[in-house]
Amino acid sequence: MLGRAVTFALVGLEPRRVEVEAHLRTGQQPTFSIVGLADRACQEAKHRVRSGVHSALLRWPGEVITVNLAPAALRKEGTGFDLAIALTVLAASGQVPVARLEEHACIGELGLDGAVRPVAGVIAAAEGAARAGLGRVLCPAGSAREAALAGVEAIGVHHLMEAVGYLLGRDAIAPAAPGEGRRAPAVAADLADVRGQERGRRALELAAAGGHNLLLAGPPGTGKTMLARRLPSILPELSRAEALEVTRIHSVAGTLPPGSGLVATPPFRAPHHGASAASVVGGGAIPRPGEVSLAHRGVLLLDELPEFPRPVLEALRQPLEDGVVSVARVGGRALFPARFRLVATMNLCPCGGRGDPRIECTCTPARVSAYRDKVSRALLDRFDLVVAMPRPRAEELAAPAAEPSAAVRARVVEAAARLAREAPPRRPAASELLDRAVDRLPLSGRGRARVARVARTVAALAGSGEVLPEHVAEALSYRSPTELAAP
Amino acid sequence: MTIRRILRGERGYPVLLARIPDPPPSLWVRGDADPGVLADTAVAIVGARACSGYGRTVARMLASGTAAAGAVVVSGLARGIDGEAHRGALAAPGRTVAVLGCGVDRDYPAAHAELAHAIVAGGGLVVSEYAPGVEPAPWRFPARNRIIAGLAAATVVVEARERSGALITADFALEDGREVLAVPGEVTCALSAGTNALLRQGATPATSVADVLEALGLEARPVAAEEPDDPVAVAVLAALAAGSTTADGLVRATGLSAADVATALTLLELAGRVAVEEGTVRSTIAR
Repeated sequence: MLGRAVTFALVGLEPRRVEVEAHLRTGQQPTFSIVGLADRACQEAKHRVRSGVHSALLRWPGEVITVNLAPAALRKEGTGFDLAIALTVLAASGQVPVARLEEHACIGELGLDGAVRPVAGVIAAAEGAARAGLGRVLCPAGSAREAALAGVEAIGVHHLMEAVGYLLGRDAIAPAAPGEGRRAPAVAADLADVRGQERGRRALELAAAGGHNLLLAGPPGTGKTMLARRLPSILPELSRAEALEVTRIHSVAGTLPPGSGLVATPPFRAPHHGASAASVVGGGAIPRPGEVSLAHRGVLLLDELPEFPRPVLEALRQPLEDGVVSVARVGGRALFPARFRLVATMNLCPCGGRGDPRIECTCTPARVSAYRDKVSRALLDRFDLVVAMPRPRAEELAAPAAEPSAAVRARVVEAAARLAREAPPRRPAASELLDRAVDRLPLSGRGRARVARVARTVAALAGSGEVLPEHVAEALSYRSPTELAAP
Repeated sequence: MTIRRILRGERGYPVLLARIPDPPPSLWVRGDADPGVLADTAVAIVGARACSGYGRTVARMLASGTAAAGAVVVSGLARGIDGEAHRGALAAPGRTVAVLGCGVDRDYPAAHAELAHAIVAGGGLVVSEYAPGVEPAPWRFPARNRIIAGLAAATVVVEARERSGALITADFALEDGREVLAVPGEVTCALSAGTNALLRQGATPATSVADVLEALGLEARPVAAEEPDDPVAVAVLAALAAGSTTADGLVRATGLSAADVATALTLLELAGRVAVEEGTVRSTIAR
């Protein structure tokens, strides 16, 4: 007897159709083998599947069982094939109708007690099923709302017994509703907590509205990190298309809590400077999304930028330029989207005293240069907004609570919508000012383009249909000062 | 790169330099300018390598002001004050001379290679008593300082710690009977300990371009001080004069928005009225 089921393996974010076949024949001794380039976790499915079937009070066929995962050339990893393997074995032994099983894609891990457990990447697998014309997906109950987002009938099951009852037509299970219900954002840090720092707040608003990368430089304790952490609180909500992209990445990475639906709020990621290049940018033997992809459509905060190893910083340049990370492996190339707002903080010198009037900085010029050299000119060029944050004085810290995030976000949403409609043209006088600045200030060609971009955002926030000279002038004040560059 | 050698006693050897107790037997000169530049009225502007933003701003202001009045600005091409003095003179635009403690073909420090080119291109000279190819060495710098002092009618020390190389230059200038000026600094700041000590010993305070020009016996060229008429800029300058030092401070002092202050600061910076460095805003005009 032959049983057959369809499931999906993931290469990066890309679902690949995998046919699971089970074959039974009479032999001298009952055996169970899985062929078809299954990795360790997948080989261990044998034990989970056998125990699961027993626990579900079903019969384990006492014959020679061979399970094949086709195409055999594709490497299969992980535990998501368990459910499909168990059901094909049951189909081959006549306990589940073969034809009905073939109408479904099956995804899920089995426990020894027969429970069906959530796995990573369910939405991507469900999208694969939809594309392959399979309208129904049998999946863990906890992932059903996620699977339904792909536009398939998602049948969520808690236990193998439930799946068998459903396939036999004994129990009906209603397809899950797509998890559109936008999760209320967790109590996010609010901008109202930030006292003073008017210039830093303004730069944060510009970064949010125009999608600019922002570098905050200043002595320790001036609120750089506090400010940076509040950027997500003023970002517009994600569109449905964006939310689907983000949900897919987080599902594949396994960072999506079970039971959740669409991720509608921009993600925020802040890897530590001890993180490896592969974990920040993505990669590994089996390509996984890195922090830059987990921050897709959201914010990536690199606190203490010069403390990150140089290879990590240099690896950031590709995603910053292309908005995508490409990981080439023998089995093919995995593409991970990585379009994020980068916010970074740094001190002005290694001792941290520079920029703080109360502390005398003892760093020699050579040490200061060495510290700043860690951030290459090329990376520094990717920051549209550079703000030096000097230490606030006591009276500034005693200032009344400032504008809350909600008020700022309303302006950001309006300006972002305006920019999305059309980029405001530049008045001739504004272009003249920009030319004069290129003459007078150390401003490269790329720097000029950056200033022009920021000026458009300033104009949009001001509600102006044109870029005026004053908008260019403000944009110029956020250019990367020469002294932050490697000398 | 044009390099010439001028022997002592030859035409072109600077007269003032010949008068110091141990003038160099010859000068190696890089640049196409006439060696007569070395004989023109010159001021030495020197100071700490690790300087503050204040020192940087003042060095630039004094150098560009004196260069605009026709004086040659002499310094040592080091990081910090020296570099700012050269840059200020070039921005005037004026002439400036860099004296090295190594061969004139060596760009030392490497970070100032471009500056050395700009000095030569701007009609200035790079000079040294050492033959091309001689490596920089710490013990050559004090000897180099005697040439800086020797070329200049007056020496201005902008910022110096208690035991700074700039004070050696000042000592040479005193021995040569030249005028010594020092820029007053905060008494609590180690970077100004050397300059304030000079003032205590009787050096002339350099509080403006006019002070330096007076020491050189030069007339200040009346510069029409271009005062902004934009009310925002006027308010920002007033708050700056009243003691605000950061953009945030200006926002609070003026009641303007952060955006308006940023706009005004850029326009004032382009007009040369303020300098913004690492978040600290300074007026470029001495009060």
